[in-house]
Amino acid sequence: MTESSPKQVTFRVQRYDPEDGTSPHFEEFTIPSSRGTTVLDGLIYIKENLDSTLAFRTSCRMGICGSCGMLINNYPHLACHTQIEELHSDTLSIKPLPNQPIIKDLVVDLMPMFNVHKSIKPYIIRQDTELENPTAEFGQLPQELNTFLQFAYCIKCGICVSACPTSASDRLFLGPQALAQCYRYCADNRDDGHQERFHVVDTDHGVWHCHLAGACSEACPKGLDPALAIQLLKRQLASQALGLRKKQPPSSVVPPPTEIKPKIPFPEFTVKGDK
Amino acid sequence: MRTTRLHLLHMFSGAVIAVLLGIHMVILHLDAVLGFFGIDATEPTSWGAMMERASQGIWVGIYIALLAFVLYHAFYGLRGIILELSPSVRTGRIITRVFIIVGIITLIWGAYVPIALLSS
Amino acid sequence: MKQIQPRQNYLGAGGWVWAGNYKLERYLYLFHRITGLGMLLFVIFHLIETTFFRIQGQSVWEATMRLLHNPVFEVGIYLVAVAFVYHALNGLRLILQEFGFALGKPTPPIYPYKDTLRKKRPLTLAMIAVVVILALVFLFDFIV
Repeated sequence: MTESSPKQVTFRVQRYDPEDGTSPHFEEFTIPSSRGTTVLDGLIYIKENLDSTLAFRTSCRMGICGSCGMLINNYPHLACHTQIEELHSDTLSIKPLPNQPIIKDLVVDLMPMFNVHKSIKPYIIRQDTELENPTAEFGQLPQELNTFLQFAYCIKCGICVSACPTSASDRLFLGPQALAQCYRYCADNRDDGHQERFHVVDTDHGVWHCHLAGACSEACPKGLDPALAIQLLKRQLASQALGLRKKQPPSSVVPPPTEIKPKIPFPEFTVKGDK
Repeated sequence: MRTTRLHLLHMFSGAVIAVLLGIHMVILHLDAVLGFFGIDATEPTSWGAMMERASQGIWVGIYIALLAFVLYHAFYGLRGIILELSPSVRTGRIITRVFIIVGIITLIWGAYVPIALLSS
Repeated sequence: MKQIQPRQNYLGAGGWVWAGNYKLERYLYLFHRITGLGMLLFVIFHLIETTFFRIQGQSVWEATMRLLHNPVFEVGIYLVAVAFVYHALNGLRLILQEFGFALGKPTPPIYPYKDTLRKKRPLTLAMIAVVVILALVFLFDFIV
């Protein structure tokens, strides 16, 4: 099998140095790319061989840590997850994610997004003391898990917030990431904290500023569908406002089984040893 | 739950407007099409046709209801758009109050005219 | 150590219009906004016409109608009618989907990912088809 020779691809990377005092500008780099080269490979090549001052975040290089979100050819991708060949272009424009403050080059400040995420209380809240003094496991059927499992895969990369048109102008909007995680916890049958979370999202800049543009779900690199989570959250809020919400207590603990199953006998040796 | 209730009213008013304004659009703009269905269609913007509608209580009721729902739906939507441009909290409050006052005045004036024409 | 001030990178209201190579549904939202604001502008003038001018009697009304029966205003009214048709039908779709009725259930993500809005694309296209048909019906009436 012959290896295709690497072709030259141009990366137009947006550079910004806060200590320089200049505004963001583009610089071009040419890198060799063959089948399987990702955008992140290209950026690492630039940093190792062409310009070591290029700043970008990277960690797992396999699409699970959420560090390398950036705007590649005007669409948000995870750089490690995007092969240069799939973009069908010899020139790639690489910019930092919009709607997040830029620290340097392609590195954006994700702390505002993390702070908003904290504000919706992303943890199980219960009225009993089970979380502090656990006695047994919580009961949760597979069907109950499936109502929110899809939204638990969030890697907090910030791509959905960059895609959202409301987040583009409304600095106080909670953003699709926080709202989807709010639903993930409200839909979890182990949780009893929806009233506290509703106070956070049922505000002037909360869930009702989502207008179902769907760009967040389109761009999400993990297939989370935050738009679906947000509409289901709206459904919960509307049921509460209309007094139609079923009062379901959170799931109780399932005590360990009392009867011990009989031990399986040790099987016969299949290889007879020397007597 | 205040914002949720306001938003639910926004959606309910949207659905009501779709019906009432749909009737208004059909009567006013689809007279040629209605003619095919055998419905008598004199020019709906003529003085005669307009005064005939103005003298019927049902049309006056439809117009006032339509105006009320349109004012709520439009001003709530416009307030949402302005808030999305991130004004300060104080500006947001001023805008809300201005919309409420303008809306009430417009509704009173807009309801007075068809009622006055009904009795004339 | 010097504190670095991160540079603000919001797209602003321009981000409503264009933020990247996104698909249809994002532009449906934008068009919903444009048609709403367009109709609001029309309603202001319409309210003036149907209150101040209507209450002044037949001669003022008929003079106003003569002024408004001019091709520029006729095209404007047609655009308002189309805006209403689009805004109403898209609004009805939004009412259904925003309460999770026409959106489907959460499913575990399996690559290649298809989110519910894309899965419900046939519903969206059906809605657009109805808008086009009604726009043509209104066009017929405007021409005749």
